[in-house]
Amino acid sequence: GRLLVVPMDGSHWFTMQMIVEKLSHRGHEVVVVIPEVSWHMGKSLNFTVKLLLVLNTLEDLNYHFKFFAHNQWKTQEVGMFSLLKHSGKGFFELLFSHCRSLFKDKKLVEYLKQSSFDAVFLDPFDVCGLILAKYFSLPSVVFSGGIFCHYLDEGAQCPSPPSYVPRILSKFTDTMTFKERVWNHLSYMKERAFCPYFFKTAVEIASEVLQTPVTMRDLFSPVSIWMFRTDFVLEFPRPMMPNMVYIGGINCHQGKPLSKEFEAYVNASGEHGIVVFSLGSMVSEIPEKKAMEIAEALGRIPQTLLWRYTGTRPSNLAKNTILVKWLPQNDLLGHPKARAFITHSGSHGIYEGICNGVPMVMMPLFGDQMDNAKRMETRGAGVTLNVLEMTADDLENALKTVINNKSYKENIMRLSSLHKDRPIEPLDLAVFWVEYVMRHKGAPHLRPAAHDLTWYQYHSLDVIGFLLAIVLTVVFIVYKSCAYGCRKCFGGKGRVKKSHKSKTH
Amino acid sequence: GKVLVFPMEGSHWLSMRDVVRELHARGHQAVVLAPEVTVHIKEEDFFTLQTYPVPYTRQGFRQQMMRNIKVVFETGNYVKTFLETSEILKNISTVLLRSCMNLLHNGSLLQHLNSSSFDMVLTDPVIPCGQVLAKYLGIPTVFFLRYIPCGIDSEATQCPKPSSYIPNLLTMLSDHMTFLQRVKNMLYPLALKYICHFSFTRYESLASELLQREVSLVEVLSHASVWLFRGDFVFDYPRPVMPNMVFIGGINCVIKKPLSQEFEAYVNASGEHGIVVFSLGSMVSEIPEKKAMEIAEALGRIPQTLLWRYTGTRPSNLAKNTILVKWLPQNDLLGHPKARAFITHSGSHGIYEGICNGVPMVMMPLFGDQMDNAKRMETRGAGVTLNVLEMTADDLENALKTVINNKSYKENIMRLSSLHKDRPIEPLDLAVFWVEYVMRHKGAPHLRPAAHDLTWYQYHSLDVIGFLLAIVLTVVFIVYKSCAYGCRKCFGGKGRVKKSHKSKTH
Repeated sequence: GRLLVVPMDGSHWFTMQMIVEKLSHRGHEVVVVIPEVSWHMGKSLNFTVKLLLVLNTLEDLNYHFKFFAHNQWKTQEVGMFSLLKHSGKGFFELLFSHCRSLFKDKKLVEYLKQSSFDAVFLDPFDVCGLILAKYFSLPSVVFSGGIFCHYLDEGAQCPSPPSYVPRILSKFTDTMTFKERVWNHLSYMKERAFCPYFFKTAVEIASEVLQTPVTMRDLFSPVSIWMFRTDFVLEFPRPMMPNMVYIGGINCHQGKPLSKEFEAYVNASGEHGIVVFSLGSMVSEIPEKKAMEIAEALGRIPQTLLWRYTGTRPSNLAKNTILVKWLPQNDLLGHPKARAFITHSGSHGIYEGICNGVPMVMMPLFGDQMDNAKRMETRGAGVTLNVLEMTADDLENALKTVINNKSYKENIMRLSSLHKDRPIEPLDLAVFWVEYVMRHKGAPHLRPAAHDLTWYQYHSLDVIGFLLAIVLTVVFIVYKSCAYGCRKCFGGKGRVKKSHKSKTH
Repeated sequence: GKVLVFPMEGSHWLSMRDVVRELHARGHQAVVLAPEVTVHIKEEDFFTLQTYPVPYTRQGFRQQMMRNIKVVFETGNYVKTFLETSEILKNISTVLLRSCMNLLHNGSLLQHLNSSSFDMVLTDPVIPCGQVLAKYLGIPTVFFLRYIPCGIDSEATQCPKPSSYIPNLLTMLSDHMTFLQRVKNMLYPLALKYICHFSFTRYESLASELLQREVSLVEVLSHASVWLFRGDFVFDYPRPVMPNMVFIGGINCVIKKPLSQEFEAYVNASGEHGIVVFSLGSMVSEIPEKKAMEIAEALGRIPQTLLWRYTGTRPSNLAKNTILVKWLPQNDLLGHPKARAFITHSGSHGIYEGICNGVPMVMMPLFGDQMDNAKRMETRGAGVTLNVLEMTADDLENALKTVINNKSYKENIMRLSSLHKDRPIEPLDLAVFWVEYVMRHKGAPHLRPAAHDLTWYQYHSLDVIGFLLAIVLTVVFIVYKSCAYGCRKCFGGKGRVKKSHKSKTH
């Protein structure tokens, strides 16, 4: 079949690439549309790549992301609204603008039109894939970590009772106190109120392109299959819909043997083993003061530390800490000498920790990282630190706790065995569903009839109102006729009395 | 591992048996627990049958079942049918309950089961007895079911079920409803509550007595680790699901054998017109004579060869093209390329065999979920539903000719068939995987939603909404009062001046 892929840059692309490569190996013609300016995409791809001319440069992209990322070391922006509105705003506006460039490129649009694809495989992060799918009327498969705002509720018609399903970026668990439930409800209401405003640019572009006013719901509701990079070892159990597929852990595979360099580091670590430290591919620099504090804490533990860090070397770096520009994270975590994992708790890192059964010290920075950290913490598989407030002592204690307290290792091993016990490997599952949508031209039989209802119909408010009206009418009539009957029965006497009285007058 | 199987009698057992066989093949030991008096459950070499005494005989049990089937064919008004049906359900559930009481009061058997240290229980929760026993023994459960009446399954899984687009069982509605149908869909469960009340509450007291604390039925059932539903979304309408719900519809049409010589001969003799397979399921053995004659007449009018599974008296007007058999290899016959149509009572097993093999159906639903099954196939254009009570020979003839000659029926059922069979894992493997999963991990607590720990008003956030409303109202009240106060200060001064002025002028 022929498949159009609209990916998102950054770590999102790493796992999507695995699926796309496998689809390409299985003989599908794959066309990937990516901006000519990107971090990770477009490198050594063995399928057709359509480059998209965009107005911004890599410096622009880096500038906006760095501005956003660096802000996280100063004030952490908690919650959907502040994330989207403040430092992230510029970054998102830049992403949305790519879509405008795409549709201005008439040659590219014509090429895509001529290609008559069977389906679109897209990351909804920058909304453009959804617009393309709607523009070409193609069935779509969404690939995502989690959907921002209430668009999962609306787009998939998936119920998410705010009483036990924590909103995205809320940092709550599935067991909430009354106060937390109030806040969870409020964040839900805030999403409803402010998200349309945040996605305004994207929706404007969509309306221009489709030449009819659309909403985010209109863009999301035709989606055939929703694929999420999570599972119920990480995520709390919640309602889902038949067209949702969970493929968490797709990124961690059997570890490869280590290169000589890393093998040497690991072997030299002795009985204490190693600790792997990485804040992900997107964070290259940490403010100096913070870096010094971290370096100090790392020096205080007996393990050998492998720290992926591209910034300036902290002056107080201890002997047990080895700075590297890159490290084979999954392979190192898979080594029996791995004792702990210091991570920014991006979903990829978390799953590598789970797969390999390595307890974690988590320093969430932005996005869903706070939520991921919270989930691991409640399951007793790691300790979360607040990067803004943490001191060297905090980090030292956290590391010692997860390494020496047996329960952390036990819990992560339990999660690991639950996670790996599945009837089908996530990569195969992802490939199956993309091919399924291509074979059957969508999956209309998985589309709930709820899409065709208005909100008051969905909640049966009209039915309840109707039944209430009947009950009230009946009560009213019964009351009135009783009253009338009473007047007849007793009222007569009353009148008799009255007339009697009047006679006596 | 060691599996304790507590099955439901009747056709339910037939697909569960395949799972037990597969578990045995993978080296697990299965003990099937059943009353002495059974219809379908028989000793087989891939499990140990453990029976317990019950205070009724095989004869009595059969008669009870026969009576029920008869009522189905009796015409009567709606109220009479409803009362009769509920009377029957009452009788059946009394028999099942008595059987359950005999099991749960059988001290020595319970002790024996306790000491056998099973790893898990596999049961059909339509009789909650198996789950009560599992709770007592303290071992995890996997449910194997089509549904539990009265929405008890969605309550016990905490699965949301908006009545606006999810038709309730026995309503015969589709997922697209008009306003009045949605009213019916909301009111129907209330009527059923009455039947469910006497079917299920007695298990509640039985469980409370055994577990020595007050428990509700929903609570007992909510502790099941995994729910294996004999359905999928080719057959059922798409609706919310929970992570511990697994869909294994079509599990019964996996195993296929070549036809025996007898049936091979029938099929070959049918010529270009092919065959029509006719069966009203394993539970219906007899049809009232008049109805049977009418059916026989209609069957005689079509050119196909009819294979009719029927154990009752032979209708006198049976045509030459109709062959009566006591039993037929239904799935294998439907799988034959000469199968043109399938006349079925639309039990879920039969429907899935029709879907798997892509044979359009004429459906004569009799009771239970069969009406709903028929409705689902009808809305998808894969079959025609007949009302057994009202149908005439002409109706049946027309229905058969329609599904055989009108291409769209064949096309639709073939489309459903290809969608149904396009799945990453075979349903039997999936069922066995989850049974083994629960054995390996001693349950699946990480799939249990936190919703179970909330009260109904907390679940619906009524307390939160009330709280927020209270705040809003308080703020509005305060703002209003202070505005009013402010106004009085600003303008009220003048007013009072005027007043005092007035009073002066008096």
